[in-house]
Amino acid sequence: MARLLVIEDNERLATLIAEGLAGLGYRSDIAHSLADADAALAVAAFDALVLDLGLPDGDGLDWLRARQPGGGPPALILTARGGLEDRVAGLDAGADDYLVKPFSVEELAARLRALLRRPGRRAEPVLKVGAIRYDTVSRSASVGGRPLDLARREADLLELLLRRAGQVVRRRSIEDALYRFDEAVTPNALEAIVSRLRRKLDEAGAVGQLHTVRGVGYLLRETEPLS
Amino acid sequence: MKPANSIVGRLTLSLTLVALIGAVLLLLFIGVEYRISFADLSDALALPAVVHELNEHVVVPMLLLATPMTVTALWAIRRAIEPLEEAARKIDAAKEARGVRVDAESLPLEARPFARSINALLDRVDAAAAMHEAFAADIAHELRTPLTLLSLELDQLDGAKAERLRVDVGAMRRLIDQLMVLAQIDAERLAQMAPTPVDLGELAGDVVAQMAPAALADGKQIELSGEDSAVIAGRREAIAAALRNLVENALRVTPAGQTVVVLADRPGELAVRDGGEGLSSERLKILVERLRRADHASSNGAGLGLAIVARIMAAHGGRLATNPEQRELRLIFPGV
Repeated sequence: MARLLVIEDNERLATLIAEGLAGLGYRSDIAHSLADADAALAVAAFDALVLDLGLPDGDGLDWLRARQPGGGPPALILTARGGLEDRVAGLDAGADDYLVKPFSVEELAARLRALLRRPGRRAEPVLKVGAIRYDTVSRSASVGGRPLDLARREADLLELLLRRAGQVVRRRSIEDALYRFDEAVTPNALEAIVSRLRRKLDEAGAVGQLHTVRGVGYLLRETEPLS
Repeated sequence: MKPANSIVGRLTLSLTLVALIGAVLLLLFIGVEYRISFADLSDALALPAVVHELNEHVVVPMLLLATPMTVTALWAIRRAIEPLEEAARKIDAAKEARGVRVDAESLPLEARPFARSINALLDRVDAAAAMHEAFAADIAHELRTPLTLLSLELDQLDGAKAERLRVDVGAMRRLIDQLMVLAQIDAERLAQMAPTPVDLGELAGDVVAQMAPAALADGKQIELSGEDSAVIAGRREAIAAALRNLVENALRVTPAGQTVVVLADRPGELAVRDGGEGLSSERLKILVERLRRADHASSNGAGLGLAIVARIMAAHGGRLATNPEQRELRLIFPGV
């Protein structure tokens, strides 16, 4: 179970976030100020931080910039700013993602799942999205417990989409990841791989999870569309 | 008699009066000097001599004096008024609603106090507008925390009622986002954000990628079509906000199972095609002018979106156009 530190000065908000995330399988500790957060981080290890920006003893961005240049648990920023140019500032300061208030617990959980799946942050050998499981060590995939037989590039593609599940992965970044730079990529090559992977997922029972966003890229959804 | 309401009119009137008074005085003077009496006027023999005297000493001098006076005075007035007309032209030509000032030093001394008063008034108007925007942004900002609480509390409830409330919270959230963007596009802050090269096709891809998860969650498709794009000088976040607004509107009016298409099909243009009914030019005009008319009644949930889009486009020297037959709205940037 992933352990989070929620740094939020509004007590009711902090409690609601912790309760909501508890229902989705996260254990949260709460810090109401940056001093509390420093104290908590000194005595325990956290998998991710959920950080509000306006805190009584300082600005969350400054704190983040000073605290973890490159290291430490990934941070997701909760911001009430959400204007035109504030969006990027948080990411520059070392935040891994941000969420503009108001948000729902599902949105927050989806972002956290994506953060925790990021490579190099938290060694998570098994990626799970819906019924799909992928073991990054043995490079083997299964749907609902039944193993999938995937070619190398299909497996690479699945891992990439799983790591960024819920988000569109752009064509170009898939091509960059799947092919060495000296390999010529024909326009249809990627589409062929995607359609083979989709067929295998569909046959194994993970129906409708892999979506094409035409002209842009591909997306693996955590759940099936409501209909 | 009411005095003529133009300076030239008044001057003409005054000069006529001066000429008349001068003529009468001259007549009197000449009458006394040459001992001309009214009896002479009825004397047929003396009349030509009298007329000659009067011509020589009254009419000719008056004409000689009045003509150059009139011409000079009119010229002086034209010269004096020219800077005022020039200032008016500059104000009319100014694109920005803010920061326009009259150059008081270029005006005649007499007009300067007036110009300075106008500038002081414009200062106050600008300050008031900036305050309103800051206020709108503050309110939007302050509303976010209670709305987050509401949204999180709702997450703990089940049922159709909770779902309807969640939709309402979503609408409020959109409105708040729009208010924040609006407060920023008008503020001088947009002017301060230096234009950077923006690849429209690239930007369209980013916006589609960003909106796709929510679209798919609602059972709708979204795609990017067309390879044409252009690099323009602009404010990337503002243009992205404009396109996002169009896509949000399009997703709202598109039934589940259908597709919203973002088009990068012509250089310097982006368009959004949806499964709605299309928007007539008249209707677009009304929606765009909603802010100006302060008419905030919203029946279709379009919020302030299109008014914001139009402002962002205007700030880039471009425009927002509708093509009802194609059911598309188009962002057109200038000079590509």
